[in-house]
Amino acid sequence: MVLETDPRAEPETIGHRVKSALSVPAVAFFKLLDVPFRWLQRLLGIGSMPYLFLLPNLAFFGLFVIVPLFLSLGYSVTGGTNLYLGERPYVGGEQYGYLFQCENYTDPATCREDRFWKAIFNTGVFVFFQVGFMVLFSLVTALILNREIRGRGFFRAVFFFPVLLSPVVVALIWKWILLRDGVLNAFLVSMGLDRILFFVDPTWAMFWAIFVSVWAHMGFYTLILLAGLQAIPPDLYEAAEMDGTKKERVFWRITLPLLWPNMLVVIVLALIKSVQIFDEVFVLTGGGPGTATQFIVQYIYTTGFANQVQNFGLASAASVVLGVVLFVLTLVQLAVTRRKDEG
Amino acid sequence: MTEILLKNVIKAYGTVEVIHGIDLAVNSGEFVVFVGPSGCGKSTLLRIIAGLEKITSGEVVINGEVVNHIPASERGLAMVFQSYALYPHMTVYKNMAFGLENSKMPKDEIDRRVNEAARLLQIEPYLARRPKALSGGQRQRVAIGRAIVRDPKAFLFDEPLSNLDAELRVTMRKELAALHAKLGGTMIYVTHDQVEAMTLADKIVVLSGGNVAQAGRPLDLYNRPQNTFVAGFIGSPRMNLMEAKAVANGSGYHLNAGPQTVEVPSVPGLSDQSNVTFGARPEHIEIVDEASADVNATVELSEQLGGETYLYCNVDGLPQLTVHQLGQLPVERGETIHLRFDRAQMHLFGADGNVIANGISE
Repeated sequence: MVLETDPRAEPETIGHRVKSALSVPAVAFFKLLDVPFRWLQRLLGIGSMPYLFLLPNLAFFGLFVIVPLFLSLGYSVTGGTNLYLGERPYVGGEQYGYLFQCENYTDPATCREDRFWKAIFNTGVFVFFQVGFMVLFSLVTALILNREIRGRGFFRAVFFFPVLLSPVVVALIWKWILLRDGVLNAFLVSMGLDRILFFVDPTWAMFWAIFVSVWAHMGFYTLILLAGLQAIPPDLYEAAEMDGTKKERVFWRITLPLLWPNMLVVIVLALIKSVQIFDEVFVLTGGGPGTATQFIVQYIYTTGFANQVQNFGLASAASVVLGVVLFVLTLVQLAVTRRKDEG
Repeated sequence: MTEILLKNVIKAYGTVEVIHGIDLAVNSGEFVVFVGPSGCGKSTLLRIIAGLEKITSGEVVINGEVVNHIPASERGLAMVFQSYALYPHMTVYKNMAFGLENSKMPKDEIDRRVNEAARLLQIEPYLARRPKALSGGQRQRVAIGRAIVRDPKAFLFDEPLSNLDAELRVTMRKELAALHAKLGGTMIYVTHDQVEAMTLADKIVVLSGGNVAQAGRPLDLYNRPQNTFVAGFIGSPRMNLMEAKAVANGSGYHLNAGPQTVEVPSVPGLSDQSNVTFGARPEHIEIVDEASADVNATVELSEQLGGETYLYCNVDGLPQLTVHQLGQLPVERGETIHLRFDRAQMHLFGADGNVIANGISE
């Protein structure tokens, strides 16, 4: 007797039928792809196929990163106000010369393009304090969250939450808190204190720019440090305890050296992100009061697009300078990461 | 010299009690080994002595002083961990010197102690290396060296050899024994390997389910186990343990196990119709002629090791029996042999698992 179905097969359930019905479009899609890919493989050889699969991503990367990079280089050596590169006169290094023309580099007022140097000075101050506080607060938070505290999962989520918010949303929330009639001033008034015009005082404006940016990104760096802390074997702490080590000494001699590779990654990543600061501060303070919180990226944006006379050449030259700085920082980051991986 | 006492020590995690009131004395200069299967509480007990675990009730006494509330760092003990727990970012020298630097010891003295320990453990050439550049055995020596330099009241070892390969384990075992002979300090050693326990210990503490099953000198435990757990745990291959019913036969008893009957003389504590377990170590079972045999067995497996032979035999109504014979024995699989239990070395346990007799005189 010939059986039509395999008697050993498990009986088909409704779940199986639903699954096979759902898989129909996927199977049809891959069958459709099969024909051109087989043809391409015959044409190019199997060795070329990986490059073919990389091509779509590479094309996007090229279009939005590589091409603009070369365009910027092109614009930075041309002058005038014409948008089309082909119609712009070649000026060589004139734009760079203009940017770097200074009597005294420590005093932006003596530079020909003083806004550029003011932006660089502001960025320097911002980076110094923002990275410093970022690393410090991330470390303290990670150390606390690494302890056996009640509601540890909740606090980890809370500290990470701002990272998920759009920078514009972050800035708008804080702006709402800090405005003349904002929540914070309402609180100060209710306590019988005077209002503080946070966005009118340059020091306060810089303070809040740093504070908001640390608040928004700290969760990410905390997570990296927390992972590093959890990778330290608990045995080492017990060995240190048996060795009669005091708590502070355990931190300085065991925790910190073993966390150092993660700290380096955090420092370099925070440094790169900090140099690129734009959106949060632009929405929060608009670069003001005056140019007190105008940073390098905002300078580029304003010079190239927002000013009445759009100076693409000068903006591009400043972009290239920033690009070089970021390139160097990225090299440092790669070196640091490689050293960490090699342990 | 240091004496350590545990008085009715109980340890519970929440509502789960893992150590159930242990009393134990570790005498000064003694090498005590805690042995037992996984989860028996031996590492927990060691960590309690170290001060790395707080006890729920009871007392831990070191040199007459109750140390329940004294932190690990102030108990003056040194511990060697299973994972070695060497500081990966420090050199071997720094690893060994770290504990001494904590106590603000003069540099010259630190240097002298580290070099002396390094010489003793033969790790002098590696003092400038980091732990990553050392083999497992070398790391273990550094971990031991870190303990030695502190000149502790007692050494605590938590399964220190279990990460090493078999050959190195044997070497390190010998070195540890030699080290104890040389240093003479109080040492407490945790292992699940009963060969390590037998070879190293002055005193073995067999733990089972958070209780002390028996404590004593290695050969006392081997020759006079106080319960079926110790009888089965100490000795490799393990003791053959067989359940039977004791039936009085006038001058003595018949131990009936299924169709098998083993005749034994009268033993104090043994009563008629009681359930018992009798045990015989593999080397205490003789191959005899059919007339004087206790049981007839079929050889299931014969392991010929050259100098000795292990036979694994099936006997109707009994669990598989392991028989050890010295020398080479021309026995094939499937062959029938006749076995007799050496009464003088036979062990008898009651229904509660506690010993009735170790050795039955005929």
